[in-house]
Amino acid sequence: MSAGPMTPTTELPATRLLPEELEVARLIVSALSLEVAPEEIEPEAPLFNEGLGLDSIDALEMALAISKAYNVKLRSDDERNHRIFASLRSLTAHIEKNRAR
Amino acid sequence: MQPSALEWMHAPERGSVLLARFMVWLVHNVGWWPGHLLLFPIAGYFLAFSPRQRRVARAYLGRALGRRAGLRDLFRLYFAFASTILDRAFLMAGRTGQYRIEVQGLDALKARIAEGRGCLLLGAHFGSFEALRAVADAGSPVEVAVMMHEANAARLKAVFGLMGASRRQPQVIPLGTTESMLQAREVLERGGLVGLLADRAPRGERMLPLPFLGAEAPLPTGPHLLALVLGAPVMLAFGIWRGPRHYEVRFEPFADPPPPGRAGREAAVADRVRRYAARLEALCRRHPYNWFNFYDFWAERGR
Repeated sequence: MSAGPMTPTTELPATRLLPEELEVARLIVSALSLEVAPEEIEPEAPLFNEGLGLDSIDALEMALAISKAYNVKLRSDDERNHRIFASLRSLTAHIEKNRAR
Repeated sequence: MQPSALEWMHAPERGSVLLARFMVWLVHNVGWWPGHLLLFPIAGYFLAFSPRQRRVARAYLGRALGRRAGLRDLFRLYFAFASTILDRAFLMAGRTGQYRIEVQGLDALKARIAEGRGCLLLGAHFGSFEALRAVADAGSPVEVAVMMHEANAARLKAVFGLMGASRRQPQVIPLGTTESMLQAREVLERGGLVGLLADRAPRGERMLPLPFLGAEAPLPTGPHLLALVLGAPVMLAFGIWRGPRHYEVRFEPFADPPPPGRAGREAAVADRVRRYAARLEALCRRHPYNWFNFYDFWAERGR
């Protein structure tokens, strides 16, 4: 599964956001009232701890905002969670793959 | 990491694993009375050989009692703590027949459960969590999960392992990960109860210094923020040790589900931490020997 939606990212410079990534970035910034411009989020930097500095309650709030906006439910028993929540890029890929259109 | 955070993770309950093992052995081989009598030398032993805990316990007791705490007060506190550990073994084994457990506020809890939105139960390191769980578990038509620090979860699991597989293990959600928060949400979505102790934070973050028993103490804001993010109703829950094999379990209304959105959240969190602290303070004054935070709660060292 990892090969599919992730392929385009390898051809882009790491710092450029795809349009759908920017959309998710905007959602996260507004849902968590972050003091950072959505455009400035590094797509492949970690969201938690050393990256954006989010904690587990932020993660919950982010998950709630995502399920509301995209109807993509993030579940506790998904063993891919670690990869899904790793970065803006991986999170967006997961949303794009699972969203109800 | 703050020294106080480290302190409670590494020296929370002196020798408590060994003690818990011993208590489990007692349950199976000896019974409650001999165990109860043994609590006197056990409490004396811990009182004699834990100078650091004794110092912070004395400081707490002085605040709660409003007078200088003597050796007798310290012994009562240590004895109550050891009692709850002995009782924990019996309550976990389901041997509750000889126990007197008075329950307050169960109707309010049942009304919350009937609403079907689940409920967050906030407790404290105060009295017996196991007495509380015995009531919640036995009386609840819905699932009950407990959020706790991973080290404590492992310890609880080990004790349950000692008891044999006969008892139903509580659903434990380890604190602090993305999964754990999603898991708590899922339990609430199924209408279940999620319990968590709101007087300590595993890390030094998200704390609010508040007046507590006469001096400023850092209290965690995380549990209250979690409730607001989840949009869950909150009740307070305490299992107060009243004497040998006698507990008072209290469920107290605390907060309705918040309106959706982040507006005014920071103020709401601050208000809730304040109300929680005030309630805990009142309980400490009323039942001073139930406080089992044997560390520098006020973070006074190095001030």
